[in-house]
Amino acid sequence: MKRVLALLALGGLAPMIQGAVGTFIPLYYCPDFGLLLVVGLGLCWRSTAGGLVLSAALGLIADLLSGSLFGQHMLLRIFAFGAARAGSQQLNLRGVIPQAIFVCVLTVVTTLGSGMLTWFFAAGPGVNGEMLRELIPHALINGAFAPWGFSLVERISSWLSEVDSGHQLLHIRPRNRLI
Amino acid sequence: MAEFRNRTPVTALVVGLVGFAVVAMVVDRRSAPGGPERELSGWTGAILDIAAPVQKMISFPFDLTQNAWRHYVSLLDASDNNDGLRARLAALEEENLQLREALIASGRLARIAEIRADFEVPMLPSELVGVDPSPWFRSVLVDRGREHGVHSGMPVISEHGLVGLVTATSVRASKTMLVLDRQSAVDGIIQRSRSRGIVRGRGTSEMDFEFVVRGSDVRIGDVVISSGLGGVYPKGIRIAEVVSVSDPGSALMQTAKLLPAVDFGRLEQVFVMLWRGPTMELLYAGEQAGDLGVMASEGAKP
Repeated sequence: MKRVLALLALGGLAPMIQGAVGTFIPLYYCPDFGLLLVVGLGLCWRSTAGGLVLSAALGLIADLLSGSLFGQHMLLRIFAFGAARAGSQQLNLRGVIPQAIFVCVLTVVTTLGSGMLTWFFAAGPGVNGEMLRELIPHALINGAFAPWGFSLVERISSWLSEVDSGHQLLHIRPRNRLI
Repeated sequence: MAEFRNRTPVTALVVGLVGFAVVAMVVDRRSAPGGPERELSGWTGAILDIAAPVQKMISFPFDLTQNAWRHYVSLLDASDNNDGLRARLAALEEENLQLREALIASGRLARIAEIRADFEVPMLPSELVGVDPSPWFRSVLVDRGREHGVHSGMPVISEHGLVGLVTATSVRASKTMLVLDRQSAVDGIIQRSRSRGIVRGRGTSEMDFEFVVRGSDVRIGDVVISSGLGGVYPKGIRIAEVVSVSDPGSALMQTAKLLPAVDFGRLEQVFVMLWRGPTMELLYAGEQAGDLGVMASEGAKP
């Protein structure tokens, strides 16, 4: 339970930090901490159902702070979690570069999804050239920060599972780590 | 079979969560800008209330550094600026005097004074504490909420022009959709020629002005102001300046690109107009919302 609450708090703080940072630098130069957290959950969280609910909750928090439609981030976070879960099973995501590429692609897909949802539900202009221009640096920055983000989620998750169970886990570090 | 049984709860959960998200989006779309007022309470309001001080705290050291630097830089050419501004002030005073004389001569000054009294709207100075966490939406969080008299549907301006519209409020904070947002649409007119059109946000630093080709006169450098016809924003607020006009070809509608009057990258303080336009008042009245949905052409896209 402590793990869930801690990750919820961290996930709630992520869009707040992004919102504050966005007053100084363009947001597409800032990594999407919420997305990294959700993808990290998809890669290392044990329970699929728990991870899904947590990802949806993090999406709802982002929806409350964002000008998006209520439910839009939630839907995209569920998709990101599912993609990360499927990716961890079907693809070789060991190492920094595959993780960075995976997050780059996922950023592009979720952004295009966001544009399509706005176009469909709110009759916005959908995806335009300017959005695509901003998307490239944003995807690259997300990709660059992905390994650190995942490592942080993994560490918090394993640290809190020790706290939850009251036992010390024996850390075995394989040569090729999954995360 | 066993695998199917194991996967069923997760599949049901996915369907449930996706269904909830889609229904939430549909309901949210129906309620914007009319329908039930977006006054967040309970845990949803608490998140907005927590976000405002947290964001203020995070941005405090950056603000301090940025302000110190800006003040230092502005001091470097303060003397030159001062001379320029004095000259401009003198010219404007002279022009003002001439206009007043003309108005007195035509007997319209007294009438204008009466109208002005009717239009004076109380304004609440507010501080911008954070921007939208997603780069694809343009909204800001301000540190004034319901306890300060701020409600959904109130226009937000700065000293340079129109900023946006309050879309959701909590007790001590509120969310404002900027005119740059892709969901924003404002009824505007060209100040010089009085040509009417719709100012639409593109989600970037520029906006579009869509107008009917026939009978319109739109040129580069023209100033676009709010027309007040949508019943959301008061008339006469500066919105943007025309920077380019597209070739209409044989189309009925033409588009001009606009540069906003407000520098959204440097926006720090805004004023919430403690006033709701007639359309907003009617739409947020609740029962009548369904009948009047068609009037919501301004504020958010239909």
